[in-house]
Amino acid sequence: MWFKEISKDSDVVISSRIRFARSIKGYNFPHILTTEKKKEIISLLEDKLKGTDYKVLKMSDIDDLTKLSLIEKHIISKEFLNESMGAIITNEDNSIVTMVNEEDHLRMQAFEAGFNVDKCYKKLQEFENSIESKIEFSKNDKYGYITACPTNVGSGMRVSVLLHLPALAKVGLLNKLLDQAASIGVSVRGLYGENTSGVGHLYQISNQKTLGMSDKDIISGIKAIITSIIEQERKAREILKKDNIKFEDDVYRAYGILKNARIISEEEAVKLLLTLRLGITMDIIQDVKLEAVTSLLVDIRSYTLKTILKEDIEGREENIKRAEYIRKEI
Amino acid sequence: MKCQSCGKREATVMYKENINGAKQEIYLCENCANKMGFMDFSSIFSPMFVSIPEFMEMERKPICKNCGYTLDDYAKTGLFGCEKCYETFEDTLDELFLKLHGKNRHIKLGEKPKVKAKSTLTKNESKTQEIEELKEKIQELIAEEKYEEAAVIRDKIKKIEGK
Repeated sequence: MWFKEISKDSDVVISSRIRFARSIKGYNFPHILTTEKKKEIISLLEDKLKGTDYKVLKMSDIDDLTKLSLIEKHIISKEFLNESMGAIITNEDNSIVTMVNEEDHLRMQAFEAGFNVDKCYKKLQEFENSIESKIEFSKNDKYGYITACPTNVGSGMRVSVLLHLPALAKVGLLNKLLDQAASIGVSVRGLYGENTSGVGHLYQISNQKTLGMSDKDIISGIKAIITSIIEQERKAREILKKDNIKFEDDVYRAYGILKNARIISEEEAVKLLLTLRLGITMDIIQDVKLEAVTSLLVDIRSYTLKTILKEDIEGREENIKRAEYIRKEI
Repeated sequence: MKCQSCGKREATVMYKENINGAKQEIYLCENCANKMGFMDFSSIFSPMFVSIPEFMEMERKPICKNCGYTLDDYAKTGLFGCEKCYETFEDTLDELFLKLHGKNRHIKLGEKPKVKAKSTLTKNESKTQEIEELKEKIQELIAEEKYEEAAVIRDKIKKIEGK
């Protein structure tokens, strides 16, 4: 699975994604589209994708636990959960996933581990071309691709990169940097929420504007900003590493708790795993693999854990199982 | 005096009125008056004043013929109803898009940026390209609310187009 891999710049970048919003010609946008018409769109896609590597799964046929786990992995949106006439088009490893009848008829997404925006774009464009050769999208010369929300019109493209920026936060430079990014038309948000507080300093950075720019320009703009943030985070990590016993202590404590705890909540586990992840990327901890921690960051989330253990556990029971699972994996 | 509607024919009909002290005189030719549906010149402006608020009402509330969406619906949901809404609400989109994106036209899809090496262009093509570039600049200046500079460039375009 892409979200468990280690790739380019994985010390700072968790994952990259690109999303294309596309409308199918002749249909009202999903939020005012009748159930019948939504069904029609799903059937159309099923028909066109028959015999390909892509599967069309109706939301109503997916069990709740799996759906909630997909939300935790940021593969589908929270809003999409209640769309009974929604569907997902996915390939084998969930690296290209399209939401059908979300805000737009098609929300195509490509995911990659690490800083791999170009690879995402190439894969998604290939997928888009194969769909567009069979289904006509709404577009024109004036506005480009037509979308339900005017914030997406034009390219319909959102490039997002998920960054782990704990060192910049610790040396007190993070807020200034994020403000700067926001002021040049880049949107910044904390991963687990709309505000920028961001649990464990995970931040999603993406382009805000989509109209009047080529895909190439949008991508190179975002890449330049991310590259500069990565460099600064690395510099901050060097500063932390020099002569900072307190920081080293934090890392070892996180490791100690994760390796020995008997009951652990999701929130505590995420926080400690991110600290441990940082310690590994800085060579403070050498006997745990970055892959293991990256996988755990996904697997120990509440619903994903339940799908892995195939048990519907709650509260204390869940926290005990989580601690057990972590001890086994690291 | 020429007709104030068509500006061509001689005005033969004059209308005078006085509303709360504001005096107004309007001159029309018979043709234009007829075209507007005013056969009876004595009542020439009363129907017009009735029709103005209606007309403005329509301006404010265009309804998408395809999906029935209005701008009020857009204000509530932040979404349009269908692709035709982009035509229905065209007049308000330029401003909205400028606010959201700093631009209100997309680049041509499936093509690389329009700017080509000057050496590969004919005289006419380079003129067109120059005008395109200046137009883009105007959009940027408007986005930055630099209206005076935008006006200067607008005059520049007129000059190029005129020659």
